[in-house]
Amino acid sequence: MKAQKNRRLMGTILGAVIALFVLSPFILVVINTAKTSEDIVISPIALPENWGQMITNLSNVINTSNFSYWTSFGSSLFITAVSLILLTVFSCMAAWVLSRHHREKWSNAIFMIFVAAMVIPFQVVMLPILTVFKGIGAFTGIKLLQSYKGIIFAYLGFGGSMSIFILHGFIKGIPYELEEAAWIDGCSPEGTFFRVIFPLLRPVQMTVLILNGLWIWNDYLLPSIMLGLNGKIKTLPIAVSSFVGSYVKQWDLILAAAFLAMIPIVLLFLLAQKQIIQGMVDGAIK
Amino acid sequence: MNTAAKKSLSLGMLVVGAVLMVAALILDFMGTKGAMRGYLLIAGALLIIVGLLKLPNKKHTKIVNGLFLFPMVFTFGVTVMIPFILGIIYSFTDWNGVSVTQFVGLENYITMFRQLDFVYSFILTLLFTIVNIVSVNIAGFCLALLCTSKIKGKNFFRAAYFLPNLIGGIVLGYVWQFIFNKVFTTVFVGSNSMLTDANLAILAILFVNTWQYAGYIMMIYVTGLQSVPSDVLEASNVDGASPLTTLFKIKIPMIANTFTVCIFLTLVNSFKLFDLNLSITNGAPSRVLGDKIIQSTEFLALNIYKTAIGKNDYALGQTKAVVFFVILAIVSLTQVSISKKKEVEL
Amino acid sequence: MKKKSLAVLLAGTMSAALFAGCGGSGASTSSSAGNSKSEAASESTGTTTTASKDAIRLVNGKIEIDEQLKAAAKKYQEETGQEVSIESLGGGVDISGQLKSYYAAGNMPDMFVIGGDGDYANWTGKCADLSDCAFVKDTDFGYTDDETGKVVGFPYAVEGYGITYNADILEKAGIDPTTLVNYDAYKAAFEKIDGMKEELGLSAVCSVAAESGQMYWSTGNHLFGYYLSGGLERDDNTYFDMALEGKVDTDRMSQYADFIGLLYQYSDQQTLISGTYDDQLALWAQGKAAFITEGNWIDPSLPDYNVSFNCGIAPLAFTKEDMTSVLADSPSWWCVYGESDKVDACKAFLDYLATTEEGQTCLVKDAGMISPYKSSTVEPESPLAVSLKTYVNEGKTSSWAWANMPEGIAQNAIGLVYESYAKGDIDKDQFVTMMQSSIADYVANK
Repeated sequence: MKAQKNRRLMGTILGAVIALFVLSPFILVVINTAKTSEDIVISPIALPENWGQMITNLSNVINTSNFSYWTSFGSSLFITAVSLILLTVFSCMAAWVLSRHHREKWSNAIFMIFVAAMVIPFQVVMLPILTVFKGIGAFTGIKLLQSYKGIIFAYLGFGGSMSIFILHGFIKGIPYELEEAAWIDGCSPEGTFFRVIFPLLRPVQMTVLILNGLWIWNDYLLPSIMLGLNGKIKTLPIAVSSFVGSYVKQWDLILAAAFLAMIPIVLLFLLAQKQIIQGMVDGAIK
Repeated sequence: MNTAAKKSLSLGMLVVGAVLMVAALILDFMGTKGAMRGYLLIAGALLIIVGLLKLPNKKHTKIVNGLFLFPMVFTFGVTVMIPFILGIIYSFTDWNGVSVTQFVGLENYITMFRQLDFVYSFILTLLFTIVNIVSVNIAGFCLALLCTSKIKGKNFFRAAYFLPNLIGGIVLGYVWQFIFNKVFTTVFVGSNSMLTDANLAILAILFVNTWQYAGYIMMIYVTGLQSVPSDVLEASNVDGASPLTTLFKIKIPMIANTFTVCIFLTLVNSFKLFDLNLSITNGAPSRVLGDKIIQSTEFLALNIYKTAIGKNDYALGQTKAVVFFVILAIVSLTQVSISKKKEVEL
Repeated sequence: MKKKSLAVLLAGTMSAALFAGCGGSGASTSSSAGNSKSEAASESTGTTTTASKDAIRLVNGKIEIDEQLKAAAKKYQEETGQEVSIESLGGGVDISGQLKSYYAAGNMPDMFVIGGDGDYANWTGKCADLSDCAFVKDTDFGYTDDETGKVVGFPYAVEGYGITYNADILEKAGIDPTTLVNYDAYKAAFEKIDGMKEELGLSAVCSVAAESGQMYWSTGNHLFGYYLSGGLERDDNTYFDMALEGKVDTDRMSQYADFIGLLYQYSDQQTLISGTYDDQLALWAQGKAAFITEGNWIDPSLPDYNVSFNCGIAPLAFTKEDMTSVLADSPSWWCVYGESDKVDACKAFLDYLATTEEGQTCLVKDAGMISPYKSSTVEPESPLAVSLKTYVNEGKTSSWAWANMPEGIAQNAIGLVYESYAKGDIDKDQFVTMMQSSIADYVANK
């Protein structure tokens, strides 16, 4: 019994040591955000002498025109939120239609194309998509590049495959009798969907939201192509990278920028830890 | 509102919508400037949609089906399918990002494999992928064992290990660049940064990738391990099996499926490595190979990006991307066939 | 009734979807959300994000003078009412790629920077003719279109570099900087200072950074530039033309390799191998190294380090024979986009910068640059600008032929050779042969 207790203690200590190690980069970011650049050069691992410096650095970063934090934070938030809402509503709609007709050939064909496209990496389409968007812009006069509508449009296209795939499987499991009951009550098909089916999808919608949300929020390659690295609209990862990519590496400010870029997600994680982990694991297993 | 009035209203909408769309298209083809025509087109399309929805019709269900599918199919077609097909065509041409003057057949593919930097990136990425699969899965599995054993603070540990995976590779990469360049050189006084040595720089990327990804893989293993029925474990305990025997004879075989999932997840993730690569080293440092010098940490995705965006060689960049896709497609097909086989066995 | 409300609801979702993010039109704003955001953030962001539709937009490639340009633009707006929005791109950013994506996206700025022939090739025929501007007659440094013979590029400065020295240290060591005109003089000077390191408080003689990921522009462009045109007349393109054919003059490259080896040998090794620009600059600016391989662009950074010592620029004289000229040129030019609807407003702004006291004060005094304009009466104040001005005045300058090398060659080819040499992966002879093969390969693949 005692041996078992010892082993448990050892395990806990081991877990704590690993946790400290895994979290150490975050700790380094926090302590160095509270230092002047001279202090960082002297010792990047020492604890800061004056935590007030953190406020100074953070406000410096927020106020520098080369890293407009609030603007990029707002852009990231806007792009992520709108993409997620549309993506969820539209892919639920599409998945519902596809899943309710899964015995018919056309439905199967569309579904298979969506699923197969999950393999396509962004690199293959990143150059031609510029041509396509440019063409649409020239033809209709609607600017898709360097604009919110364009990047949101692209996220709908790219997020669709996986979202439909996950939702499709879930909708199949919803008994058809529920819909029939609504039908008999005189509900139209669109009414049935929005009143009966859509609310039932909540748990799996959560998975879709989390998977797509993290991807869109952290994505670098797609916005770097769609918005450009120094365009009017910058997402947070783009803003951080163009802030870092200058001649002079001001680590105090760079780390403060990194700190500010991490904070929103860390806070979200603390609030909705269970759902996020569950969502990401579900997404992987399906 | 009676049916007739409803019908005429929706028909009216359809007509107005069609007129608007035709007008917009005429403007488009005439090449007039101004964004109005695009919105005209959208407004017309919307009117038609509403009209169709309100039109009392026997085919109402089919119309709804079509309208429900439309948004996803349209965005998907425009942003994925059309560019994808164009991209494959472009890889056989001398496309320069603006125009195509001629088809060059397989020339781009031949040029590509003749370039040392691409071949190097290719081999580097393959080797890295293999090593990374091993390191991420071992780390993830060990963490999972730790987090499913009877220790205190399990939930906190799980959350802590999982955290790096939530932050984007670009931001984390810069933080690690700081750690490699400033922290390590201060802690080990007088040492040069790891990132200036070709082999150590690759090791650094491997390390950071494992650090970032192991927590995610761990959570999947945790889910797998928790699905092992507790009565089976109790039975083996009663039979006096040692923890190691239980692990190898019961746990691992029972979660074989989880291993497949994790291995393929890491495979694709390592192969697509880009963000960390870009922000930690961006390809540096140099490596001398025979009488050539190349960038030692330029993985495939970065090589594609630099060929297209940095050197402006669109056709070659596109060709490399097509090869990149083909490899990923083969990997996925393999995964599907393995899972299918497993299903049959079960 | 039920059906109707649902239809409206659905149409509402659809239209919300399709109109999402479609607020404004054209380049000025992108969406309603964007508007409200930029209002909220207008206090904290730069001028670029709050520019109005009538502003002329300049993409500047020198982030160091961002603040000064913005100040000048503000003054110009106060005087004339014309708003000028400055968008500065940093050194790590691929500027020509960025401009191309602006062009592709139909978001071309009214004025933009070009670095030389390679950049200009992208914009041939798309730039406005500036020949009728007042500034043209006042300078020899305007960028001319080879085919039409018309001036299309506005030179805002002359820049120069070589081996920049700390004059106080040289004086203490008893070295006259004007004697640093050949390999032997440098060798002797390095050896002497190296012997006095402790009493001079130095950690190394030279501050050089050769890491290829972030310093390729310093080695692959600037240092390599001396091989191409060091000691030559301004219009002498012998070695440049050879390089474009993938050839290298082995004898000249061999002498050059010796000199680079010498520089490396006396450099702070950690800075040499893993240092970034600020590491390199800090070492020298804090008085811990006597020489740095940078140019007059470090002037604006000197106050950050409270530099009190004198300094000047000497030629990177790698030859056995005397080399008395430094490499100086207009580093880049501003072109006016021909299809902009504000060409005349741009020309007026350029003339203002070139020919008025206020404009020149901004470029020369505030930004620490050297005026390419003959009539400019504003004398530079910063030490390296003064030093460089003497070379310009005496006509002891050679051209920046390196600026016309193929795009990306420094980052993807030449810079790697400098790094390998610095790390000791290759020796002097390999440096010469790999320089040869790297250039040949790169030129062939183009």
